[in-house]
Amino acid sequence: MIAAEDEMPVGKRRSSLIRSPQFSSLVILIVLLAIFAIADANFLSPLNISNMMAFLPELGIIALGMTLLLTAGEFDLSVGAVFGLAPVVVMLLVQNGGVDIGFALLAGLLLCVAIGAINGLIVTKIGISSFLVTLSMLLVVRGAALYITQGFPLKSWDQPGFFVTLLAGSFNVGSFRFYTSLWWFIGLSLLAIYVLRYAKLGNWISAIGSNRNAAVARGVPADAVKVWLFILTSVLAGLAGMISAFRISAASPVAGTGYELEVIAMVVVGGTALTGGRGTILGTIVGALMLRAIRNGIVLIGVPGLAYNIFVGLIILAMLILHALLQKNAARG
Amino acid sequence: MEVLRLQNLQKSFGSVRALKNASFALKEGEVVALLGDNGAGKSTLIKAISGVFPADRGDIYVRGEKVSIRSTRDAMDLGIETIHQDTSLAPDLSIARNLFLGREPVKLKWLGVFAPLDFAKLRDAASALLKRVGISKKLDADALVLTLSGGERQSIAISRAMQFAAKVIILDEPTNNLGVEETHGVLRFVKEVRDAGHSVLLITHNIHHVFQVADRIIVMRRGEIVAEQTVADTDLLTVESIITGADMSALLKETRAK
Repeated sequence: MIAAEDEMPVGKRRSSLIRSPQFSSLVILIVLLAIFAIADANFLSPLNISNMMAFLPELGIIALGMTLLLTAGEFDLSVGAVFGLAPVVVMLLVQNGGVDIGFALLAGLLLCVAIGAINGLIVTKIGISSFLVTLSMLLVVRGAALYITQGFPLKSWDQPGFFVTLLAGSFNVGSFRFYTSLWWFIGLSLLAIYVLRYAKLGNWISAIGSNRNAAVARGVPADAVKVWLFILTSVLAGLAGMISAFRISAASPVAGTGYELEVIAMVVVGGTALTGGRGTILGTIVGALMLRAIRNGIVLIGVPGLAYNIFVGLIILAMLILHALLQKNAARG
Repeated sequence: MEVLRLQNLQKSFGSVRALKNASFALKEGEVVALLGDNGAGKSTLIKAISGVFPADRGDIYVRGEKVSIRSTRDAMDLGIETIHQDTSLAPDLSIARNLFLGREPVKLKWLGVFAPLDFAKLRDAASALLKRVGISKKLDADALVLTLSGGERQSIAISRAMQFAAKVIILDEPTNNLGVEETHGVLRFVKEVRDAGHSVLLITHNIHHVFQVADRIIVMRRGEIVAEQTVADTDLLTVESIITGADMSALLKETRAK
């Protein structure tokens, strides 16, 4: 679907857009927002929207990488752990090693590159499924974060400066308060849309996920592309972790626990196929907004805190059923 | 004019000698059928030619020049296009994107893999190609490959091989899993490909198809080429007996007596 819509005549493009998975996700997002807004007037208050927008980019940035990776037919369960480890390493370097904050951030990102490269190389060169490789990596990375901090959260960098502004600065628009992370999310989203839809690389990514052998037979370097996508996903997870740690001025070794599943849920709810070949960044953005709105909205409308995962799970399930039905219809049509 | 020559090609996997000693030549504009039972070494042979893995020993000549084929890209650059069974197209991509997969027309080439696709060029070239090979009426260049039938997919894959002016087109079981009608369509297409001046190496299990389209037959058994005959000089039963290695002359006599 990503492959086709920008190349079609207008009439056909419109009908295919309406039938596309990201469109049905968008409709459901609007319905959900409307329900929450009617149920609780505070849902659309500047404070609540500002709150949602503060969280959104942190998971959303990871979801962008995950979308590209899933489109190429692989996924990464270690992103939540990397989200936790990266800022912890940065703060340990600064506080115990006396390293300059800039170098520490760079070292943290290089660590993410290494983690992603190890994931990718084991998956492609040894041929173990990404589920098993990244599940093991999740344990290794999370274990490392716990061990090097002895389980205690670290105070994060809170002196104002270039890097704080760059990663977690905030600004007001009217009575809304936004963080710079929103710019990161918007910028990276545009880049991801460009790559997946319009660039040569995006053609390769979709082809690899759709039929790896076909892509390889055409001379597409499938393994190299996958390794770079693992690296990208890891780096984005680390970046998101740093943004989060700077925003709340704390780096916790257990930060990001369970994020891997939340991120994968965002991506597939948006319409990207778990089996590869079909990915949509717009869908992922809708999916990220949707999961954020659900988590926020059902608390506001008074669902008991302990019950709310039930609703999150059910809504995700409903979305996936809808996508599956649409897909069946499309195949028949 | 000889387009492809293999000289003493050998390939082993561990202690298994999959390809013992294969030599043959392919002329311009001819269809050569490569026959043999499972495990005869057909796949190994074509994989060595198409660059999936290099041969251990032996030489490959393209138009009389000795070449080295280390990757699928090498083979494609030499004008050798291979259509593997069921694996040559990406179903989630459009026909146009599939036709140019790995050789995408782009703008701003210096951006490397990040270069934007030239959609106008992509669409025009795809439509022109579909028209040239006579399948434009039904197929839209923007249609996803997953909406196509098996025969249409084979035709698209073969057209793609033709578009890059391939000297040699290798077809690996092109009629597998196809219906009768579609099989005939693909075979007709193979003839057109030959008439357009390309050489075709056709790997198949179906001897009947061979007699419909091939000019020459090469039979492999246990990693070796055991027979090479022109189609006009042989018949179905003879070829069958060479493939299986069984002595079918008795059967042959019996049949002829009737």
